[in-house]
Amino acid sequence: MDRIRRDFTTVTLVMIPVAIAINIAVGQLVVALKLPLYLDSIGTILVAVLAGPLAGLVTGVLANLIWTLTGLAPFAAAFAIVAGIIGLMAGLFAGWGWFRRLWLWLLAGVLTGIVAALVSAPISAYLFGGVMGSGQDFLVAFFRATGASVMQATFGQGIVADPLDKLVSFLLVWLTLRALPKRFLQRFPRVENVTGRPE
Amino acid sequence: MIELEGVTFTYAGETSPALHQLDLRIGQGELWAVLGATGAGKSTLCSLLAGFIPHFYHGALSGTVRVAGIDVGASSLAVMSEQVGSVFQNPFNQVTGARYTVREEIGFGLENLGIPQDEMLLRIERSLSLTGLSDLAERSPYALSGGQQQRLAIASILALQPRLMVLDEPTSQLDPAGTGQVFTLLRQLVTAGEATVVLAEQRLEWVSQVADRCLVLQNGRKVGEGTPSDVLSRAEVGSWGLQETRFSRAARAAAARGLIRPHDALPQTLDQAAEHFR
Amino acid sequence: MLLALAFAVPWWACALTLFLLVFPLAAVAQVLGPLARTLWKIVLPFAIPILLIQGFFWGEGQVLFTLGPLSFYRAGLIFAAASIARIAMLGGCFLLLSMTTRVDMLMRALVERGLPSQALYLVVTTLQLVPRFQAQAHRIQDAQRTRGLETEGTLWRRAQALVPLIGPLLLASLMDVEERALALEARGFSRRGPRSSLVTLHDSAGQRWLRRFLWTLAVALILFRLFAWVTR
Repeated sequence: MDRIRRDFTTVTLVMIPVAIAINIAVGQLVVALKLPLYLDSIGTILVAVLAGPLAGLVTGVLANLIWTLTGLAPFAAAFAIVAGIIGLMAGLFAGWGWFRRLWLWLLAGVLTGIVAALVSAPISAYLFGGVMGSGQDFLVAFFRATGASVMQATFGQGIVADPLDKLVSFLLVWLTLRALPKRFLQRFPRVENVTGRPE
Repeated sequence: MIELEGVTFTYAGETSPALHQLDLRIGQGELWAVLGATGAGKSTLCSLLAGFIPHFYHGALSGTVRVAGIDVGASSLAVMSEQVGSVFQNPFNQVTGARYTVREEIGFGLENLGIPQDEMLLRIERSLSLTGLSDLAERSPYALSGGQQQRLAIASILALQPRLMVLDEPTSQLDPAGTGQVFTLLRQLVTAGEATVVLAEQRLEWVSQVADRCLVLQNGRKVGEGTPSDVLSRAEVGSWGLQETRFSRAARAAAARGLIRPHDALPQTLDQAAEHFR
Repeated sequence: MLLALAFAVPWWACALTLFLLVFPLAAVAQVLGPLARTLWKIVLPFAIPILLIQGFFWGEGQVLFTLGPLSFYRAGLIFAAASIARIAMLGGCFLLLSMTTRVDMLMRALVERGLPSQALYLVVTTLQLVPRFQAQAHRIQDAQRTRGLETEGTLWRRAQALVPLIGPLLLASLMDVEERALALEARGFSRRGPRSSLVTLHDSAGQRWLRRFLWTLAVALILFRLFAWVTR
């Protein structure tokens, strides 16, 4: 309980809206650049590393709910759980020290992506038949053509796209935090995830 | 109102102190300007007066710091922020984002303090008129200019009725119009007895028009204290790393060439310069 | 209004009929035009791919027609129609909610009922920051483009464009966090103790009864659906 209060400092609470805005801005930018990725969890992962898994969870869930509220991506809310899990896992991995070694951190990204795919497949299959109107739809078509069920096809799409997407997202977060001066990182509750020493 | 004795502070993880053996006394109802080059310790002093040091920025603090009768080191961030209001450099960052109109934005701090609703409405109206924002009360805080946003920050702090207002280079990101608005407002507030102000600034021209007294810092040490005209006319001014006004430079150059008789006080403003060169 | 969301759960046939509820409500709130237009814009990019992919790749059952080597399946059509109806209904409900409710008033109502006030800050601030950040992302994009950054072209080149676009955005935002936090502290944000409210919210007995009715109806529908599914 005390850990929760220590994680949710004013700095954390300020960071969350900023992180969510980053999620959405970058997510839209990726669509504008027509890249086959989402990159809509970068802010969530940032919060998770700097303020812990619970903060990451809150950021992810809130991000998707608000994304829907803005009307930019109306179905994001359905995947709020997935976004929350991404934040949770990123925070847990960071808490276990995986951020400090790049290869471990990238592995964390891949694992998170796999779990994300597992959880989002049933949601996507149930609600949309797996089709999102995005660049990955051809993957779904491909899997259906080979005889897979809707659920399997959706999962097939996810298992290819999600780990890659999370890998890149985790990498971008790693690069960003490495570029920040140490003095500045002191502001954040879980600074030891990055620097390795509790202050 | 403010008493500092032998104050030394070193940020955590740093080796040299940001403030060194600082003594300072500031009375109520005064407008003090804190001058110094970048890194001289102005921001550190501001953070200290507001209680952010040592409760937000950690480090080694020694000496006595009393603000509005409170021992800063022994207090807490919550208590300090009720007594000392802070205004920062970036106007955009001081808009909380949690409210849709200027009026509600000012009310944000009042709501946090649990001020009763009728009292809130009175204080908000007062803040709006003191800062000249009454016409903009229903606008979104994000639809204001930089100068207006900075005045909004001041209004929001004023509404909390702090004993002291600390402003850390509030005009550094503003255009000349905005800068003028802020300096003029601060002077009006102090003259009307609404606030005691400590202002960290680099704009000497404005400072000399507006401040009652100045404090000059260099490398965390006090190197000068007094009225603006006293302090800014001293010969050592050049070595303090301050950005001299063009009037002072001109006067100094003219005196060096023997074009005018050397005066004691160097001009900081256009009017003073006109007088000086007569 | 809020509780219209509960209708999202039931089955696709219900979804279609409930459409007949959303549109009239929108008309009453005078947002029918914008709502219909936005809904159309949202649903269309889904509707076409879903119809095509599920229709042509369903793989089994009755075939409605053939187009060269591809067969269009009836089961696929039904599935697609169900999905589209569900999406449209969900979208309609959300749009109705967001177009008729002021978010901060909604949040204030929740805070009155015990939600921590930090939640109000989080939701409203995020909503206000998102458009600013998007504008900033666009500005950075334009600035980089004038410096010769390629945003069209091959996949690799577009991917390369990503880092100089995202980097400044992330770093600048994180740097600002410190000042923003201090500004909030200066307004008593982390103060423990009773808070007050600038606005008084109005509630009436009629609204309370409507809420209770909607809640019961929602629960009943969910139970009915679960029952039907379990006894299949």
